[in-house]
Amino acid sequence: MTSIFIAVAVLSLLALVFGVILGFASKKFKVEGNPVIDQVEALLPQTQCGQCGYPGCRPYAEAIANGDHINKCPPGGTATMEKIAELMGVDQEPLNAEAQSTVKKVAYIREDECIGCTKCIQACPVDAILGAGKLMHTVIAKDCTGCDLCVEPCPVDCIDMIPVETTLQNWDWKLNTIPVKVIHSEPEEQAC
Amino acid sequence: MLTLLEQLDKGSLWQSPGGIHPPQLKTLSNQSAIARLPLATRFIVPVPLVGEQATLSVGVGDKVLKGQSLTEGAGFTYLPVHAPTSGQIVAIEQHATNHPSSLPTLSCIIESDGQDTWCDLIPNSLEQLSKLQILDKIKQAGIAGMGGAAFPSHVKLNPASEIDLVIINGIECEPYITSDDRLMRDHSDEIVSGVGVINHLLNPQRIIIAIEDNKPEAAQAMQAALNRSNLPKGVARVTVIPTKYPSGGEKQLIQIITGKEVPSGAIPAQLGIVVHNVGTAFAIQEAIYQGKPLIERVVTLTGEQIGQPGNYWLPIGTTVADALQSVHFIESAEQKVIVGGPMMGYALAELDVPILKGTNCLLVPSHNEIAADVDEKACIRCGECAVACPALLLPQQLFWHAKAEEYDKAASYNLKDCIECGCCSYVCPSDIPLVEYYRVAKSALKIEAEEKRQAEQAKIRFEARLQRLEDEKNAREAKAKEAAAKRQANMKSTDKDAVAAAMARIAAKKAQDSAASSAPTAGSTTQVPQTVVDPKKAAVNAAIERAKAKKAAQANTVSDDEFDKNTAEVNVDDKQAKIAAAVARAKAKKAAQVNAESTVQTPNTAETSVAGTEPPADTVDDKKVRVAAAVAKAKAKKLAQAGQTDDTTVTTEPTTDAVDDKKARVAAAVAKAKAKKLAQANQTDDTVVAVEPTTDRVDDKKASVAAAVAKAKAKKLAQASQIDIGEAVSRPTVGVESTAEIAPNVALTATADSAELSPEQIKKAKVAAAIAKAKAKKLANSAEQEEQ
Repeated sequence: MTSIFIAVAVLSLLALVFGVILGFASKKFKVEGNPVIDQVEALLPQTQCGQCGYPGCRPYAEAIANGDHINKCPPGGTATMEKIAELMGVDQEPLNAEAQSTVKKVAYIREDECIGCTKCIQACPVDAILGAGKLMHTVIAKDCTGCDLCVEPCPVDCIDMIPVETTLQNWDWKLNTIPVKVIHSEPEEQAC
Repeated sequence: MLTLLEQLDKGSLWQSPGGIHPPQLKTLSNQSAIARLPLATRFIVPVPLVGEQATLSVGVGDKVLKGQSLTEGAGFTYLPVHAPTSGQIVAIEQHATNHPSSLPTLSCIIESDGQDTWCDLIPNSLEQLSKLQILDKIKQAGIAGMGGAAFPSHVKLNPASEIDLVIINGIECEPYITSDDRLMRDHSDEIVSGVGVINHLLNPQRIIIAIEDNKPEAAQAMQAALNRSNLPKGVARVTVIPTKYPSGGEKQLIQIITGKEVPSGAIPAQLGIVVHNVGTAFAIQEAIYQGKPLIERVVTLTGEQIGQPGNYWLPIGTTVADALQSVHFIESAEQKVIVGGPMMGYALAELDVPILKGTNCLLVPSHNEIAADVDEKACIRCGECAVACPALLLPQQLFWHAKAEEYDKAASYNLKDCIECGCCSYVCPSDIPLVEYYRVAKSALKIEAEEKRQAEQAKIRFEARLQRLEDEKNAREAKAKEAAAKRQANMKSTDKDAVAAAMARIAAKKAQDSAASSAPTAGSTTQVPQTVVDPKKAAVNAAIERAKAKKAAQANTVSDDEFDKNTAEVNVDDKQAKIAAAVARAKAKKAAQVNAESTVQTPNTAETSVAGTEPPADTVDDKKVRVAAAVAKAKAKKLAQAGQTDDTTVTTEPTTDAVDDKKARVAAAVAKAKAKKLAQANQTDDTVVAVEPTTDRVDDKKASVAAAVAKAKAKKLAQASQIDIGEAVSRPTVGVESTAEIAPNVALTATADSAELSPEQIKKAKVAAAIAKAKAKKLANSAEQEEQ
């Protein structure tokens, strides 16, 4: 009979101890916010273009975390969509916008046509356009995300989206794309 | 257990993993001393840092001397670029560069003048310069690593941590290349003196000059030079290491000499080790002791397609085509020109590209030397590549992932530690160009990392912008709130005005009542002057007097000459006053005419006041007083009319009412005038005057005053003409004449004044003009009535 009481007492004690530990842990290691939002946001291209219908990449990440479609990011393209699908454990969906060209572009202001209306400056989500009222504006190319948002408001249509120039810094080693007389890099054994 | 230093002194060596033993083929080019080629006529000097860290210090058409710096810049890794010969800069343009991509980069095209004139060189000795000056001199000489990577040497000579060991790299493990070999043989003393400079700067415990055992002549020459040198005994030594490819790699060499492995992502300086190429040591010596910048280097021109293979001093910027032409290059079909060695070099897409600081070899092989491309076959998983890899990577795994474009997985197999030596490709029995796959994967990863960085940057900027917009919005709201509070405060003061206006209105009504009641009594009085108490009121009254006097004078003479004289007397210094005066004048004239022709009753009373009231008129300088004067004038005229008609009584009591607010007083005066007019109107005809609308507009003082004046005049005129009709039907022409005279006068003064007035005053002038117009119309109407 006493053994039963001992068992009950021991189990109760154990339950109490674990309860205290769990209760402490739930307070101490509480996760603020939804970590999935941060993970999704890290995958999005941060162009802040608003083509998804949300005012920026973070709001869209929040929407995805709440179950929105994952195919609303044309700048990210299929690659981003696939990564989000993998992260969220949902099926891949084809992009709903028309196929975005994968060429990265930056805005370019034809400066002698600019009238200095500042409308593009207000439209730029990353403050990458420099200028002042009635003075010429110009795009800070290295900060431009190529989101297109400045093209629409320009009253004189002096903004072009031009592809990013390939330089030695961003050239990717794809031998097939350039006209190189390819050589085989090893000398033949019999040549020695 | 021996310490590391003891082992270094003993010449102990360690094994580096992997590696291959390709055929050396060095005898092709190392048989003769380093030669010089005839000076080329055209040089292409790339200035890639321009626009980032540097600016051009020369322009198109400038004459440059050999060794003159073409760029200016700042920054830790900035290196100046120098003219390789004297001549003229014929263009600064985008030109294909010596790079596997052959992408254009900004270059100075220099046309040689054939003189090869040096600029002024400043030779120094080590004792003359501080360490910082030496480093600066090395930087200004544009010295970059000569082994191939072309990393700025002054950075490696100024490490943050203590350096224990300096390794001078004379390995040159790639087949074919012999430029370092020949340099060590021909210029061993200079190299050792360059090593002395490095020793002076870094002060290491040991300096190892490492040479492969396939270059015994070079090792001997270096040892001899070392013995001749004044380097401290025991610090520097020549260590000969076994030939193996790629022993010349920095990390591999450190492993062979010290047995230490440089951790992934770390630099040798973190282990207290620095590696410099022998060519760099030579260039440092040239820069310090002769002041020469790095403008030429030894290049091995080799391969069976070259008539005179060997090593040559080539100015940096010489085109590959020129260099090959000078050594009797025999072009074959589908000729390949390889920059660097056969293992790590790359083929050029075009030959019109310059020799750079890191270009150590131009290999022009025949078809027998290097086989044509073979098709890549499937991987048979033999594992040879893993055995050969000097970095202990798993080339197979990297290959799978790189081929599948799963670059992140490739990265997880430490792709970034691949030194692209080509050993895996060399040993691959399936002829898979493994290194090509890795290069593609590496650049893809690099671009991905760059995009990630840009995305991060964009996010930061986006958030900063949101923050800014939020701040701006808050600031705007705060400002709006402040403005609202201010308005609230102002409202209180306007309330006061409203009270004053209301009081004025009450006073006006009272005046109206009294006028109406006093009308029957018909006793005209001029008690005003007597009731004056304070100076201001006195001034007002004086003005009234003056106006009356003037009118009276006019009435007396009824001549234009006198009228002019009177107006001239009025010493009005302000424009507004002039307008008022003009209006008054017009009115006065009209009144005078009316008086003169209709009645001669007023002169008596007017004359008496003339003498006493003239002086104050000259001293009218206060605006308000003038306004009051204008009002008073209107009243005076009214009085004159009262004199004519004899049935109106003027009560001036309201003026003396102790209303302390000035505006209220003005308004009251206006109201009074109107009230009087009303009274007259009541008596003489049925004209209805709206008193309230004008008195409501207290805030625009002058406008309302002017309007009131105008109204008063208009009404009076109407009355006058009506009286004319009643009294004398025989004078129909008077009205017409006066219309003709007055209208132009008023209009003229108004326009003349407005020409020189500020916008505010123009407005007032316009008001006056409108008044004049109204009067003119009224007159015309009355004239018509008269005619009828």
